[in-house]
Amino acid sequence: MSEEHAHPHIKDFEGHVDAVASDLEYFRRKRIEARVLHYLRRGVITWTDLFRAHEALDWPEPSPPQPDLELRVRALEDSLDALILAGAVAGTALSTHTVAIDDTRRERGDYHPEFRLASRTYEGDLESRIGLLETAVAETGHLVAALTRALLDRGEVTQEALDENRQRLSGLGYHNGARIVARAWVDSEFKRRLIETGREAVRELDIPPGRLGKLGVAENTDDTHNIVVCTLCSCYPHDLLGNPPWWYRTDEYKTRIVEDPRSTIRDMFGLEIGAERKVVVHDSTSDVRWMVLPRRPEGTEGMTENQLAELVTAESLVGSEELKARRP
Amino acid sequence: MTERFAPGDRVRVLTTVDGGNPRTPYYLRGQVGVVAELHGVIVNPLDHHFPYPPLYSVAFRVEELAGPPGPDLVIADLHDEWLEPAR
Repeated sequence: MSEEHAHPHIKDFEGHVDAVASDLEYFRRKRIEARVLHYLRRGVITWTDLFRAHEALDWPEPSPPQPDLELRVRALEDSLDALILAGAVAGTALSTHTVAIDDTRRERGDYHPEFRLASRTYEGDLESRIGLLETAVAETGHLVAALTRALLDRGEVTQEALDENRQRLSGLGYHNGARIVARAWVDSEFKRRLIETGREAVRELDIPPGRLGKLGVAENTDDTHNIVVCTLCSCYPHDLLGNPPWWYRTDEYKTRIVEDPRSTIRDMFGLEIGAERKVVVHDSTSDVRWMVLPRRPEGTEGMTENQLAELVTAESLVGSEELKARRP
Repeated sequence: MTERFAPGDRVRVLTTVDGGNPRTPYYLRGQVGVVAELHGVIVNPLDHHFPYPPLYSVAFRVEELAGPPGPDLVIADLHDEWLEPAR
């Protein structure tokens, strides 16, 4: 429901569709496919790597198009945004390979028109143009996914590097969580509102609260250590805190943490929870997205809110780390 | 929709529910837990087409889930349609 209020209604469908077509062509030709070709030319990956990666990936059945044209255009715009982000995440993860796009080549004088990738057009009436673009965005998405998989399989990038890249590029991240935690440490009234109202309280910090269900805040105390998991998928307050640590999505973690929480925390994270404290595992099922409010470390009495925020790590927001006072 | 359960109530997770939220962990089906928190009906259009019945955080003892003995808990968020009263 809130989505409807977030955007004004689209009036000029053709204009929106034109913009999608030109953005898609720009990113497809100058970023995504240019990078794939660059990696192939340099031998970073091979065609076979790409084919294998494509085969190994699980492709969801395309969902039937929305009957409402406005929703369909919005969905198209959203999937293009996701494509551009995914392309940037995979494409900029290899800092050792800077890809020169046509425009750079032209400027530095080693551009040849033969390098140019052909533009595609998406013509017809409005609905058929939308259909063609939906297909093109999905197909380019397959290429990006296969490229990402191939780079991982080759060991050229790690999942951690990709996750970090995605957080940086999407402007999200645990930094939001760090600010929330630091405020809760210094302001007990804020902490109360945070635990009671979740996302509503986050707005006080000028942080966009996101829209994924309810935010659950599990407070670590001297009696209780909390840790978050999503055994069915990888639910997390992504829209607020960015991605969880890479191991959060592993089957090993998801299986073991609910079978034997205490030993799993010790074996996987080297964290010994004292016998006087109870371990509580929060298994998220999408409607409540849990974060952990870690304990404030001892020896931080004189620190400012900003200094405190710097102590907070992504791991501590999931509950796999207890924080220590570092020198500011 | 009103909540059938209150904090402290013992509830059993059903093994199957037609049309129930599919995101109900398998390892908890058939298990008995205690309602810890009421969340009400959560409108979450990005995840579901329509809201499910009221949601509860239900606490299960790890030792009763065949884990090691001790005070540790698994708390899972479960919808009303998946729960029945338990002794």
